[in-house]
Amino acid sequence: MAPTLVAQHLTKRFGPVAAVGGVSLTVDSGEVVGLLGPNGAGKTTTLRMLAGILTPDAGRVEIAGLDIHEAPLEAKRRLGFLSGDTQLYQRLSTREVLRYFGRLYSMSDPAIASRTGQLIDELDMGAFASRPCGTLSSGQKQRANIARAFLHEPDLLILDEPTVALDVVSGQFIVESIRRQRAAGRAVLFSTHIMSEAEYLCDRILLLHDGRIIDQGTLDDLLARSGCRNLTDAFLRLVGPAAPTARAVSR
Amino acid sequence: MRLAIVWTIVRKELTETLRDRRTIMMMIALPVLLYPLLMMGFTKLQVSQREATASRASRVAVWGSVPSGLLAVLSDEGRILVDGAAAPPEAVRAGLASGALQRPALADAGTPAPADTERRAVPAPRTAEPENPAMLAARAIVAERRVDAVLVLWPDLLPALAQGRAGRVSVYFDSVREDSIEAQGRLVERLRGYRADLVRQRERDRGLSEGFSLGLDVRSTNLAPEQRRSGQILGLFLPFLLITMSLLGGFYPAIDLTAGEKERGTMQTLLCAPLRSIEIIIGKFVAVWIISLIAAMANIVSLGTTMARILPGDQIHVAPSTLAVAFVMLLPLTFFMTAVFLALATFAKDFKDGQNFLTPVYMVLALPAAVTMLRGIELNAWTAFVPVVNIALLIKALLVGEAAADLIFLTLVSSTAWAVLALVLAARVFAREQVLLGGRDSLRSLLGFERQPGAEPTPAFAFTTFAFGLVVVFYGSLLLQGAGTVTTLLVTGYGFFLLPTVLLVAAYGFSPRRTLSLRRPPVGGLIAAVLIGCSAWAVAAGVLIRLLPPPESLVKALEQLLLLDGKPASLWVVWLVIGVTPAICEEAFFRGLILSGLRRLGPWPAIIICGLLFGLAHSSIYRLLPTFFIGVLLTWLVWRTGSIWTSIVAHTLNNGIAATLVYNKALAAMVGAGSEQFLGWKPTAVAMLVLAAGIVVLMRTRPVVPD
Repeated sequence: MAPTLVAQHLTKRFGPVAAVGGVSLTVDSGEVVGLLGPNGAGKTTTLRMLAGILTPDAGRVEIAGLDIHEAPLEAKRRLGFLSGDTQLYQRLSTREVLRYFGRLYSMSDPAIASRTGQLIDELDMGAFASRPCGTLSSGQKQRANIARAFLHEPDLLILDEPTVALDVVSGQFIVESIRRQRAAGRAVLFSTHIMSEAEYLCDRILLLHDGRIIDQGTLDDLLARSGCRNLTDAFLRLVGPAAPTARAVSR
Repeated sequence: MRLAIVWTIVRKELTETLRDRRTIMMMIALPVLLYPLLMMGFTKLQVSQREATASRASRVAVWGSVPSGLLAVLSDEGRILVDGAAAPPEAVRAGLASGALQRPALADAGTPAPADTERRAVPAPRTAEPENPAMLAARAIVAERRVDAVLVLWPDLLPALAQGRAGRVSVYFDSVREDSIEAQGRLVERLRGYRADLVRQRERDRGLSEGFSLGLDVRSTNLAPEQRRSGQILGLFLPFLLITMSLLGGFYPAIDLTAGEKERGTMQTLLCAPLRSIEIIIGKFVAVWIISLIAAMANIVSLGTTMARILPGDQIHVAPSTLAVAFVMLLPLTFFMTAVFLALATFAKDFKDGQNFLTPVYMVLALPAAVTMLRGIELNAWTAFVPVVNIALLIKALLVGEAAADLIFLTLVSSTAWAVLALVLAARVFAREQVLLGGRDSLRSLLGFERQPGAEPTPAFAFTTFAFGLVVVFYGSLLLQGAGTVTTLLVTGYGFFLLPTVLLVAAYGFSPRRTLSLRRPPVGGLIAAVLIGCSAWAVAAGVLIRLLPPPESLVKALEQLLLLDGKPASLWVVWLVIGVTPAICEEAFFRGLILSGLRRLGPWPAIIICGLLFGLAHSSIYRLLPTFFIGVLLTWLVWRTGSIWTSIVAHTLNNGIAATLVYNKALAAMVGAGSEQFLGWKPTAVAMLVLAAGIVVLMRTRPVVPD
């Protein structure tokens, strides 16, 4: 079976700055892939291109076999996207937000209702699902956000630093729901700065530096190649101040 | 574009916006409170002050020697109270008593003061009389508010009265003080009565008939009916108030739905949803427009209620139908402003940035609506093309009851054109992912002047081009004001229709042959073109004109135009300027560029819309139906034959024959297109037969599939 997400040679420049230079990656169904890299490595730009929010200057993206620029609506319907800085509509309640996005994803009203109920149970949102989102705590907001991204049962989840600015408990909530999605056979690609999360969750890890993937593999592969005991050390060795530049590595 | 999705977005945006207290304040609460408070407060204050002033007796100082009976006349009705205690300073008193103080001549000696100075509503400027001790003393005592006005009886008054000459008196008052104006009015009125008695007495003494000195008894009466007078008052400020307030309703929502969403980070969740950017922008646009319209409605209802129920008496009367029409006028205006707001607010990175962007734009666009407060600026063919100003002037004209149907039409067409341009801009901005994610984008890519090989015009392109063309022609014709008819027609044709067409085709890299249908015409198509070109005008002149007969002035103007200013020119010049030039230039624009954009709508929608745009471009409601009819026939020719030459032939014949008939009266009489307003039934019937034959030939012509 073809991978759920296939990206080939993605490139994006912002004026004179090359943000992403030729990134290729795949994510299979039932697989969690972590995208790691220092600030400014091009993680967000890469994820935005994969989600069809940004058009790459070169390269192509396929979600469940659908090219995101040839069939954008069908491809996007199979995608759930969430980023850490995403807010919800302040003056709508979680239920209203879910109903709104359900309709935008062309779901039927009964399907929206049953799925909403299911997610409210699953994410334990009963206490606040009818309150305006502007009044929720960060953790509650992020749970509601997850519900929005998972609502239409997408084949692929792209999560950009989903646990940023969350406390340990709320962060754990997200991590567990990502595991559940993997168990349900979905493909998950997520970026994070929290190494323990990546160690715990990821089947595979991609290291992005200066807009290029400088290393990839399972946690054990990476540790073995770098000769480090944990991912933090490996990360620092590869992309830290003393690290060779991406160009040198790719040569 | 999926309407269900657009509607989902509209509903969500409305729900969210209506839960925002700030919007509700601007949209409903402000107008509902503003008008009653403003008007009631203002008129109550005015009325009560007027009443207070009217009920109070004016205190007046009288300086100088008083002729017999004057004091009695002044205080006759008890409205003037002569204050004996308000004596002049000693120097003035002595000067008036001794005759040393005389009334100075007016400073501006070049123009003699009118004999009847005291009747003038507006007093002569203060500088007219040089400063003098009496004036200074009067100014001081009025400023101290000891009296409201001072009447100075100059030393020569008594001798002059005795000798049958005109005695000199002066009234000193302060035009800024309501009480003082009132005192001056009363004094002048009483003095006039005193003078009338004096004149009557003199006439009697000399045995003259009564009225001898009066000579003429003049009365002027205001002809404007009550409706128009109140309309004029309203017309001064109402359009401005309505426009600024309605636009304010959409101001915050426009920012909130674009820059606000960017700031809150909800924009990217929309962008990764399976939506087209056009669906998002149209959804947001409709929501903001609805809010603007609710604001407009709240303003109008509040205003109407205030006028009808709250204002004391029948001071200002305004018909509900006028308010309804004013609301209709606000439709294209709010449409335009909403689109401009959205396009610009989308550039802003957050709410504050959005406010900074939009406030100057709001000022620049809404403040010109204040032109209604200037006298002399009226709605005409020029002002009808200036956005916002045209609607303001039109509402004013409606209130005064003198809006011409043609100008209403022109205003609506031009406003819609502006609105479409603004909406296209908004849609373009919204299609730029860079802008949506907070970055900047080049103007060049925004305006879409990036060539794409093999590109084809789209319907959106066609509408934009049409709106753009209208605006170019308008501003171009401003430049041509004063040039002769021949120059105007040639420059308009080649410069404003053909040149932009060629430039646009080149700029976008469209195929000229396909876009402009530059193909060899089939023989049948040419025959059809000749038959239609010879007959279509006659059907229009014999049938369609009867439905909405144009006013005489328009017919004359058109004839004048067809005759090239009525100057005798050779017939071939007329054919070249009136026939061939518009045929080539307008066909290239309408049947070439615009039709190519409309093609993908299918034959009949494309033909009808292209004909309609052609009709609208003639900028007259009386010419709309005939030009629409001819436009449809011309478009149909090109659609069937795939060749623009057919419509050029038909258009040339159509215009040329019409001009020839105006040019040659004898020929016109021969075909029955004489002096009557409409073409006779007999020639019309013949023309219909010819037209039918042309259509039959056209239907039998093999349609050309665009290559």
